[in-house]
Amino acid sequence: MKTFIKSVLIIISVFVLNACQTTKTAIFDQYTYQKTIEIKIETESLMDKANTPYNQNLQEIGELLQEVKTVMEYEKNRPNNEITYNMWRLLCEKDKNFIVGFLNQWQKSGTVSTTFIPEAKGQISEAFDLLIKYEVKKDKTNQGLLSDFINANN
Amino acid sequence: MDIDKIFNQLKEELLGIFNNSFKDLKGEAKKDLEEFLVQSEEKLRRWTLLLASGDITQDEFAWLVKSQKDLMLFHTLYATGVSKIKLGHFKNKVIKTIISTIIALI
Repeated sequence: MKTFIKSVLIIISVFVLNACQTTKTAIFDQYTYQKTIEIKIETESLMDKANTPYNQNLQEIGELLQEVKTVMEYEKNRPNNEITYNMWRLLCEKDKNFIVGFLNQWQKSGTVSTTFIPEAKGQISEAFDLLIKYEVKKDKTNQGLLSDFINANN
Repeated sequence: MDIDKIFNQLKEELLGIFNNSFKDLKGEAKKDLEEFLVQSEEKLRRWTLLLASGDITQDEFAWLVKSQKDLMLFHTLYATGVSKIKLGHFKNKVIKTIISTIIALI
């Protein structure tokens, strides 16, 4: 009888848990956190050079885009990580005015004005800060309360 | 150049996005986004003045204004993510309560 009650209650808990699947969020990831900060700093220092011709900075631009591509692939494959992945997608979309949008503007005009650089940098930095802030808000450990309970009672 | 006219038009557009995307938001998330709107106002005024003084080109001005609209999307994602985390914490509390009840009953 005791086992039966226990089983029924566990099944109820499983239903509760399943009903809340959509709230699952990836846990904090040290690699993501570090890489986001690194790429933010690299982007800012590259933007500081945007008053020089775009073609003179091709190597650095290529390296930055490659790094961004690697992080995006990593974020795409982390489970329950849609929000962070979508934030990276926004940062890199051609028609959004963040990293790639800035590079397009730079390429189009050859150089950009020195007054424009800090203003654009502020916009992109704000987006990066939200990414970093969101990663920090994530739980540091996976709280598998139900599985802990099941394991402890088997 | 009528700075106030340009500014009011931009503000209306941002408010439109705000009302469509955040009508269901409450508490901290809503406060964050209201703060974003205040910051948008300051930025738009500054950029309009930079354009009027010739410190930035029309292209650059348009780029900055669009980037502010794009940032709004970024804030939407952030607010959604934070709400999801909070909901997850609530879920954990519910499960914890169920587990405590089970333990007490057995």
